[in-house]
Amino acid sequence: MDLILLFVGAVLVNNLVLARFLGICPFFGVSKKVETAIGMSLAVTFVMAVASIITWIVQYAVLEKFGLQYLQTIVFILVIASLVQFVEMVIEKTSPDLYQSLGIFLPLITTNCAILGAAIINIQSGFSFVEMLVFTIGSALGFGLALVLFAGIRERIELSDIPYYFRGMPIAFITAGILALAFMGFSGLVK
Amino acid sequence: MRLKAFTSGIFGNNPVMKQVLGLCPALAVTTSAINGIAMGLATTAVLIGSNTVVSLVKNLIPAKVRIPAYIVIIASFVTVVDLVMNAYVHDLHKVLGLFIPLIVVNCVVLGRAESFASKNGLLDSILDALGTGFGFTLALMILGGVREIMGNGSVFGFDLFGPSFEPSIVMILPPGAFIALGFLMMGYKYVEEHKRVKRGGE
Amino acid sequence: MKDSPFKMVIVLTIITVISALILATVHSGTKDMITENYRQDFLKGLKVVMPGFDNEPDVDFKVMKDKKIYIGKKAGVTFGYAVQTVSPKGYSGDIVVLVGVDTEGKILGIEIIKHAETPGLGNKIENKTWKDTFLGLDKDSNIAVKKDGGNIDEFSGATISPRAVCEAVNEGLDFLSRYAVGGEK
Repeated sequence: MDLILLFVGAVLVNNLVLARFLGICPFFGVSKKVETAIGMSLAVTFVMAVASIITWIVQYAVLEKFGLQYLQTIVFILVIASLVQFVEMVIEKTSPDLYQSLGIFLPLITTNCAILGAAIINIQSGFSFVEMLVFTIGSALGFGLALVLFAGIRERIELSDIPYYFRGMPIAFITAGILALAFMGFSGLVK
Repeated sequence: MRLKAFTSGIFGNNPVMKQVLGLCPALAVTTSAINGIAMGLATTAVLIGSNTVVSLVKNLIPAKVRIPAYIVIIASFVTVVDLVMNAYVHDLHKVLGLFIPLIVVNCVVLGRAESFASKNGLLDSILDALGTGFGFTLALMILGGVREIMGNGSVFGFDLFGPSFEPSIVMILPPGAFIALGFLMMGYKYVEEHKRVKRGGE
Repeated sequence: MKDSPFKMVIVLTIITVISALILATVHSGTKDMITENYRQDFLKGLKVVMPGFDNEPDVDFKVMKDKKIYIGKKAGVTFGYAVQTVSPKGYSGDIVVLVGVDTEGKILGIEIIKHAETPGLGNKIENKTWKDTFLGLDKDSNIAVKKDGGNIDEFSGATISPRAVCEAVNEGLDFLSRYAVGGEK
């Protein structure tokens, strides 16, 4: 039961993008088309899940054991950077099709603060392994949901007549604000 | 020429308003002007450190491992800032919380290391870091100020309108961050456009 | 010179070693202060709920049912107890409350240690004047929000957060009256 609440909370209530402000750069960068938004969401989900598992193990099996918690930031970012590189190589070798659709997003993911952010939140909240998995997958889905919804709206904005000074980024931000407002309706859902 | 490295980060090429980088902290911690300044200064400290070191060691690092090397350098400075802030300005550290370690993945920092410090001399790199950091801090302070005034009726903690003022709480909640930044960007674009028209004679 | 893999590994290793050394130095220079800061944070809370103690209640505690009861002493005489309780019924997550009582079980003070309630609505539970309305109440006073027939004010637009605080306070009072106030039973 608690796990379900944790999951719903991660997807809707504490949405990674719209409530926690993580992964904002790709949220605005790759949300012009629904298709690319889906590709990015898949790439993020995959990397986030694997990165969270590895960093969780590293934290408890290495850092805590040797009292090296202060190296958390540097170790986590190295894990993520090398993981991304590794995933890129594997996908390129094994599945050219997948590489075609996800490849361009992978380098961007290293500097996606959602990945590092989720890894750190997992540790700060003191999650057990299962809780960590549920939370990570929920967070990644929440990221994907927000990104795809937003891309859908932006595709329509492209066709509308926007006042000159609002065109481009300004209107995108205001739209995101309204989307965040809508997501606020979910708060209080998990009690 | 030298001055250009400093000033371009503040207006012409402002990291938040123009390059649209470093948004996560810009939106997340700017519930008040003072938080905005604190986050800006923490980022500036990391920028100065990483730009300095990268510019010093740029010729020693093989091109292929450039990015991982920069990330290690940046992560080290971030951890130093994190520890020092936790020790000396503990209350501020609590407010900024998660977003201090996340300076590592702030694209502004890696962006400046990669696109400027790895190609320029020490002095220029430091100036560039100062300018970018100052521009970032300024943007965060203005955003934080606007949100604090509208959402809390105060600025830098001073009450502005008295108790009869009903603040619109949404401005210090997440949606307010997006909306405020959207309008600020519109204003930035407006000023920029007018400057350009003036320079063009008409 | 070509960038051999060997050189890459050497360079990266050197950089990592240097940064690890620097970080270890900074860490050992700041760690005592950081630990002390976290301790002071907690003591600040204890000072609110048991004003005027002159011992160190954060080390002077007894454990009952896996919970720490912090003991406040003035000139060696015990004058109050405090316990930390959690209500999971906050609007957005747990609310952690520290409750302090005197030797007769009347509230000396309450402090909100941790919460994630909505700014401007639920987070009014942080207001000192509101928290002070708990002063002097005990477990027989009707501690509940007025909407539930109690005597604690709720806020317009926010009933859930104060209700959760009341629940946590009641739980703390109940615990303290059972295990601390009036001698150990």
